[in-house]
Amino acid sequence: MTVTTAWALLIALSAASTLLAASGLQGAAFTVAVLVLAGWKSRLILGRYLGLAVAPVWQRGFDWILALVLILFAVLALAA
Amino acid sequence: MTAPTPTRPQDQPSVLDSLPGELMMWVLILSELAVFGAGLAAFLAVRITDPAGFAEAQTHLHRTGAGINTVVLVTSGWLAALAVQAAEAGRKVRLRGLLALASALGVVFLVLKGSEYADLARAGIGFETHAFFTFSYLLTGFHAAHVIAGILLLGLVGALATPRAVETGAAFWHMVDLVWVLLFPVVYLL
Amino acid sequence: MKYKTQKIAIAYFAVALALFTVQVTLGLILGWIYVSPNFLSEILPFNIGRMLHTNSLVVWLLLGFFGAAYYLVPEESEREIHSTKLAYLQLIILVVGTAGVVVTYLFNLFDGNFLLGNEGREFIEQPRWVKAGIVVAALIFLYNISLTVLAGKKTAITNILLLGLWLLSLLFLFAFYNPANLALDKQYWWFIVHLWVEATWELVMASILAFLMLKLTGVDREVIEKWLYVIVATALFSGILGTGHHYYWIGTPGYWQWIGSIFSTLEIVPFFGMMAFAFVMVWKGRRDHPNKAAMLWALGCATLAFFGAGVWGFLHTLHGVNYYTHGTQITAAHGHLAFFGAYVSLNLAIISYAMPILRGRDPYNQVLNMASFWLMSGGMVFMTFTLTFAGTVQTHLQRVNGQAYMDVQDQLWIFYAMRFGSGVAVVLGALLFIYAMAFPRREVIEPGPAVAAE
Repeated sequence: MTVTTAWALLIALSAASTLLAASGLQGAAFTVAVLVLAGWKSRLILGRYLGLAVAPVWQRGFDWILALVLILFAVLALAA
Repeated sequence: MTAPTPTRPQDQPSVLDSLPGELMMWVLILSELAVFGAGLAAFLAVRITDPAGFAEAQTHLHRTGAGINTVVLVTSGWLAALAVQAAEAGRKVRLRGLLALASALGVVFLVLKGSEYADLARAGIGFETHAFFTFSYLLTGFHAAHVIAGILLLGLVGALATPRAVETGAAFWHMVDLVWVLLFPVVYLL
Repeated sequence: MKYKTQKIAIAYFAVALALFTVQVTLGLILGWIYVSPNFLSEILPFNIGRMLHTNSLVVWLLLGFFGAAYYLVPEESEREIHSTKLAYLQLIILVVGTAGVVVTYLFNLFDGNFLLGNEGREFIEQPRWVKAGIVVAALIFLYNISLTVLAGKKTAITNILLLGLWLLSLLFLFAFYNPANLALDKQYWWFIVHLWVEATWELVMASILAFLMLKLTGVDREVIEKWLYVIVATALFSGILGTGHHYYWIGTPGYWQWIGSIFSTLEIVPFFGMMAFAFVMVWKGRRDHPNKAAMLWALGCATLAFFGAGVWGFLHTLHGVNYYTHGTQITAAHGHLAFFGAYVSLNLAIISYAMPILRGRDPYNQVLNMASFWLMSGGMVFMTFTLTFAGTVQTHLQRVNGQAYMDVQDQLWIFYAMRFGSGVAVVLGALLFIYAMAFPRREVIEPGPAVAAE
C-alpha cells in the first residue's frame, strides 16, 4: 500500500465516522463502531505514515497497545 | 583466566534496529500516547459520574469543524509522508513545497480550532465551567500546542532538508495526527 | 587515576561525607523526638532540626555531584580540570555558606535583615548573602567544568551531566523570587525542589550511573549511550509537568490535578528504565570488575530508586489518593526511600568506585563497605515500611475518621519507636561506610584455593 492509498483510505474512514455521527445511531453499536474506525485510522497512520508496516514485530506491539486502549475506552464509555 | 567467549548477547542485532526512523521519536510517540490515552480514559471515567452533563456540554463544541479538521490533518500527514519520499529521492524543492503545504494545513487546523475556542469563550465557558470542559480544553489545548510545535519543526527540517531530519520531523507530525484520530471520536462523538 | 586534577574529588567527597554524618545524626535526634516529643524542645525545636536534616542532605548530595563531576569529567573528556584553584575556591564558598546558614538559623541572628537574616521560606530560608554565594559557587563550577568539557572530548555522559548541572543551577535562581501571593510563592518554590529531584537531578543520576556501568561492566559505550538518551528523554517528559502533583491543594487552578496525576504517574518510567539499564548492563557485561562494593551500591541505587521514588511516589501521587494522604507519614516514607535510593546510594556508589582509585588502594574488595550497604539499605527499607504503616493508620484515623492530629500521633507511637530502631541501623551503616572509605590501608580478601572434589 502506498502512502497515497493510505491517505485515501483515511479520508474514507473519516467520512464514515462523520456519516455515523450524522445517522443518529446511538448506544453501544455507535460507540463500538466509532472506536473501531478510530483504531483502524490509528493503525494506518502507524503502519503507512510512520512506516511500522516494514517492522512487523513493532506493528504487532502497537496493535496490542491500541486494542487494549480502545477496549478500555469502550468499557468506560459504555459504563456511562 | 578464561578466554572471552565469542558470542555475547550484545553482539546480536537488537530488535530496536528494526524500528523505522529515529529511536528518540518513538520514545516520544509512546510517551504522548500514554499521556493522551490516560487523559482520554480519565475523561471517560469522569463522564460516568454525569453522562447527561457531558452530553449537554458536548453540544457546545464544533463537531463539524472537528470532523473537517480530521480530514485536514490526515491530508497534511500524507503530504509530510510524500515529503519524506522526496527527501530520500534527493528532491529538495519538492520536499520543501510539500512540507510548506503540510504546515499550511496545520495552520488551517489551528484556525478552525481557534474559532471553536472563540465561540466557547464568547459563551463564557472556561476550564472550570464543567468537568467536560476541563478535559476538553486540556486535551485539545495540549494537542493544539503540539500542532504549533509541529509546524515549527516542519519549518526547521525543511530548512535542513536531509532525509533523516525530514523523516524525524514528519514522524512528529504523524504523532500529532495519530493523537487527533484517537481524541476526536472520544471528545466530540461519543 | 589517569588525571591528577581528579584528586579535587577527594575534598568534595570528604566534606559531603562529613555533612552526611551531620544529616543522619540529626535524623536520629528527630526520630527520637517523634518517640519522646519534649526531647530538646528548648534547644533544638523540631522545625529547625528538620530544616537541618533536609538541608544538610541536599547540600551533601550536591557536593557529592560536584565531586563526581570533578572525578569523571577529566576521564571522559581526556583533559585535566581547567582550574584546580577555582574548584577549591568553590568548595570553600559552599562550606562557609553552609556554616552561615546553620549559625544564622540556630540562633536566629539578624532576624529581619534583608541581607543577613533568614528568609523564612521552608528549605530556601538561607540568608540572601548565602544564596548569592551559592550562585557564585555554581557559576565557578559551571565555568570550570564547561571549559574542561569544551576543550576535550565530548561524550553523551558529560553532555547529559552538564545539561543537568546547568539546568539545576538556573532553577536555583527562583530562590530569589518571592511573590507576596502565597500560592504563587509555593508554585515557584516547587520549581526548585521538584524540578531538581524529579528532572535535573535525574539527568545527573543517569549520567553518573552510565559512567559507573561503563567502567564496571565494560559494555560498549554506544549501547550505554542509547539507554542514557531514552532515560533522560522520559525523565524530562514526565518530570517537568509532573510538578503538577504539588499543585493540587495550594490554590492553583483545578486542571493541575489532572496534569499532575497523569504526568507524575509516568515518572515511574525513567526510574524503571534506570533499574532495567543497570541490570541489563551487568548481565551483558564482559568485565568482572574487582570493585564489588561500587557495583552493589550502583545496583542498589537503581533498585531502591525505582521502589522509593517510583513505586512509593506513585502510591500517593493520584490526586484522589493524595486528597487523603497529603502530608501524612506516607509522604515521609516516600521521601526517605526516594532520597536514599536515588541520590544517597548514587553518591555512595560513585564514592565507593572513585575513592580506592583516588587514594591508590586499588584493587580493593571492600567487604566493610558492602556490610554498610546492607545495614543502611536494610534500615532504610524497614523505616519505609514502618512509616508507610504509620501513614496508612494516620490517614484513616485523621483524614477519614476525622480524629485530632495529636490524638492520632499518640496512637502511632509503636511505629515511631520501630522507626527509631531502623534509624540507628542507618546511622551505624553510615559510620561504617565512612570508616571503610577513610581508614583501612589494605583490605584484600583472597578467595581460598579451589579444591576439586575427589
